[in-house]
Amino acid sequence: MGFDVAAVLGLFGLTSAFALVALVLAGWMCWRIAEKAGLPGWAGAAAILLTLTGIGSLISLILLWVFAFMRWPRDSVALAGAAHAPMPSGMAPPAPTALPPPPRVLADRRGWMLSGGGVTLRFDDSRAAYTLTGVAAGGPDELVLADPSVGQPHARLLTAAGRIGLQDLGSPGGTYIDGARLLPAHGPRDITAARTLTLGNVELALSRT
Amino acid sequence: MMTVIGWLIGLSMFALMAILVVHVLFALLLIVPSWRIFERAGYSGLLSLFHLVPAIGPFIVMAILAFGDWPTGEGRPKQAGS
Repeated sequence: MGFDVAAVLGLFGLTSAFALVALVLAGWMCWRIAEKAGLPGWAGAAAILLTLTGIGSLISLILLWVFAFMRWPRDSVALAGAAHAPMPSGMAPPAPTALPPPPRVLADRRGWMLSGGGVTLRFDDSRAAYTLTGVAAGGPDELVLADPSVGQPHARLLTAAGRIGLQDLGSPGGTYIDGARLLPAHGPRDITAARTLTLGNVELALSRT
Repeated sequence: MMTVIGWLIGLSMFALMAILVVHVLFALLLIVPSWRIFERAGYSGLLSLFHLVPAIGPFIVMAILAFGDWPTGEGRPKQAGS
């Protein structure tokens, strides 16, 4: 046989055809996972194929950690339609916009809970948006944090089935997601996987009810 | 004779424990990022514990993420037949 399969497999450091099948399968699945996150599919497959290099799976392991904690393009696309310009203090907030719903959803119907600073705020996706404010103005969609460092209003929470976003409204106290500053220019950010939100001096833990 | 057998059993148990500990430690390196990926995809992070399954665990995790419909939405439009 002119084409020596064993020699080709040996060239790549593979010990059996089973390993080759596993590699192709893993590459295919990572292609699909990367596409679902909004990244180019070839990037996922390439991350797996890097195991063929002399460094082995170390690079793939590092890339897995990077992928887990990086910002996915999928999140930016989903929230782009809800962006608003920053609002000067004292003006009425602009009409809230909803997050576009995911294409196919097995919706998690649990609500959300923000707790900290002596208060617990509960909300769900029955409303498209909530306003986080330091002083109640009588609106039905208000979540009130009675603290002088919290703006009036301070930020907007956007909800969709199973996902929530946060948009800073330009309050001087500042808004932070897991310690990272959220500016009005950033627009709405997906905080579904966030742990803590800080509004002014108030730190809130985000959890499901 | 019994002493030798006892030593062999002891060494075997030690080797098994060492293998188990190394396996769990390596699995943890995969479980932590996978937990976050599952949560961002809208699944329970507990699914990342499939990494504890020897040999095929990572493939189970990848298959769930690759072929399941992410509850929080996907970055590409669904195509017919996919």
